[in-house]
Amino acid sequence: MFKAIIESDKLKEMIEAVSSIVDEGKLNLSSDGISIKAVDPANVAMVSLNLNSDAFEEFNASEGELGVDLKRLGDIVDMAQKAEMVELELDEEQHKLIIRMSGLTYKIALLDPASIRKEPKIPQLELPATIVLSGNDLKRAVKAAEKVSDHMCMGVEGETFYLEAESDSDRMRLDIVKDQLVSIIPGDARSLFSLDYLSDMIKAAGKANEVTVELGRDFPTKINFQIANGNGDVSYLLAPRIESD
Amino acid sequence: MCGRPVCPILEKFKTFSRFPALSDNIFGASPPSVFVGRYGYPQVSAGPLVPPDVDGSDAAIFDNSQSWSNLSIEDIIGLRSRLVRSNMRLNVKDAAVPDIMLQKSQELALSEVPVDTEVWFHKPPRIDMRFDSVTTPMGPSGEVTKLDITQNPVVPRHVDKVVYDTDVRAVDAVGELYSSDISVDHITRLLSIGLLGKQRKIVPTRWSITATDDMVGKKLSNDIKYFPEINDILVYSGGIHGNHFEILVFPGAYAYELIEIWMPKAVWSGGNVTLEADREDHRKKKSYSNLGGGYYAARLPVLEYLHRTRRCASIFTIREITPDYWAPLGVWVVREAAKQAMSSVPMRFDSIDEALMDMSARIHTSIDRWKPVSWLLDRKTKQKTLMDFVHKY
Repeated sequence: MFKAIIESDKLKEMIEAVSSIVDEGKLNLSSDGISIKAVDPANVAMVSLNLNSDAFEEFNASEGELGVDLKRLGDIVDMAQKAEMVELELDEEQHKLIIRMSGLTYKIALLDPASIRKEPKIPQLELPATIVLSGNDLKRAVKAAEKVSDHMCMGVEGETFYLEAESDSDRMRLDIVKDQLVSIIPGDARSLFSLDYLSDMIKAAGKANEVTVELGRDFPTKINFQIANGNGDVSYLLAPRIESD
Repeated sequence: MCGRPVCPILEKFKTFSRFPALSDNIFGASPPSVFVGRYGYPQVSAGPLVPPDVDGSDAAIFDNSQSWSNLSIEDIIGLRSRLVRSNMRLNVKDAAVPDIMLQKSQELALSEVPVDTEVWFHKPPRIDMRFDSVTTPMGPSGEVTKLDITQNPVVPRHVDKVVYDTDVRAVDAVGELYSSDISVDHITRLLSIGLLGKQRKIVPTRWSITATDDMVGKKLSNDIKYFPEINDILVYSGGIHGNHFEILVFPGAYAYELIEIWMPKAVWSGGNVTLEADREDHRKKKSYSNLGGGYYAARLPVLEYLHRTRRCASIFTIREITPDYWAPLGVWVVREAAKQAMSSVPMRFDSIDEALMDMSARIHTSIDRWKPVSWLLDRKTKQKTLMDFVHKY
């Protein structure tokens, strides 16, 4: 069984964070809340999300899995006003998700969890450098890089976090020094990433007050931030590109 | 247009224009075919195409692009020049409340086989020929005063069902028709004359061709995403009418890229090689292709192949247009050329580089021009996956 009431903004945050990686997700339900782990079909990006029951006004769930078309759910939840309460309920007989908001009721078909891509193995990575900065600053860097290239390099030099993008003719470099960061643990780090993926991830991450970026040399990056006023967290993993010679 | 001193189209055209003059009344079997212009939208001109004095089953070939791969470009233009276009001025919303002439046109469009049609014109249709990058060439046209179909259309059961159901969205209707083996040409015709969807509208032929290719393609790629990945690196090669395709299919998540190379003196291209690319992947294509309708038409046969074999793959496609393509025949050429390539016996390779070398031997334009343009090849060689890091510990 599953029945929950949540503020629309928090639900939107959750959907946005996951649907930037996959269109369909398996929601794992327990009395503690909802968790989702998913990897994109190209195995390049991964998302792992937890939303605690404290994020909800009301939360009742037994252990279970719900296969959800996230794009569809996102479309529907977009109908909700800011701060409006949204009620979610599982119709076990019809295998549908009921969504209620101020007079509106939707029923959407659920997907067979077995039809959704299997949950990924999560690589255990020890990444030497950790940078904490405002989501907005990271978003600005991604936007700046998009004007120049399809990929962006992130690295650490001393206590400076730098971001670079380069095309045949143009170059962009953004230095964010220690004072402008929340914190930095310096380390040997420089990796190149696809902006296709980063710009999708930054939609959700850009709204967070603090984003933690973990980096290595030609290694995946881990991007962590909180959602739902601290009652949930999102962790992205993104595989790097090989730098051209 | 093509950079040649003498325009071959106009030259050859002169031969076609020695037509017998038409009267203000014609009788013939419509293949069946309808055309909807796009100028003046939402006020458009639309109506059936009829080859005068052509009987019954002989008419089918006039609109059946799938049977044209063995005809020369001259033959195709010759064939199409005999199709007389009847024009009615309509508002696209008239589809929902059709007058008697539009009703007749809609009935005709439902049919799977030619329908005897008689048309009376305001004045005799003027001898003319129209070319376009998406739509198929057409002959003379005239303003209709009366239209009659003198034979019952043969309507496939699935067409009947979808057309009379006004609660089905156009996109679902197209999917259902396609799954029921209704041809893309037939679906396009129904969409165009305003017979599909909830709020029915007449759709200019040019748009409905691409809309159909796109809707069918999306339906197929949505399934393909879930199929197991192909195991081999395969190259398919072939084409028609100066549209040569090299299609590389390799293991990976669904992704499709098309690079178009227009050689000098091919139609539209002028004096230089022009090269343009577009692509999509499992993250979905966001906006209308910069390559226009050809992008969706070229994609369809490849998706059909993957769907038939129930495999997911990454697809890298080159369409090289040579000077042999001297007159624009419409986007069906692209679809049929890609289909021709996909029906070839594939060559198997151990690596993508070997496959590319083999492909480059059949493409006039140097690999140094097209390989660096590819987003998909770049991603395949440079993008690591998370799996590359799973086993390191």
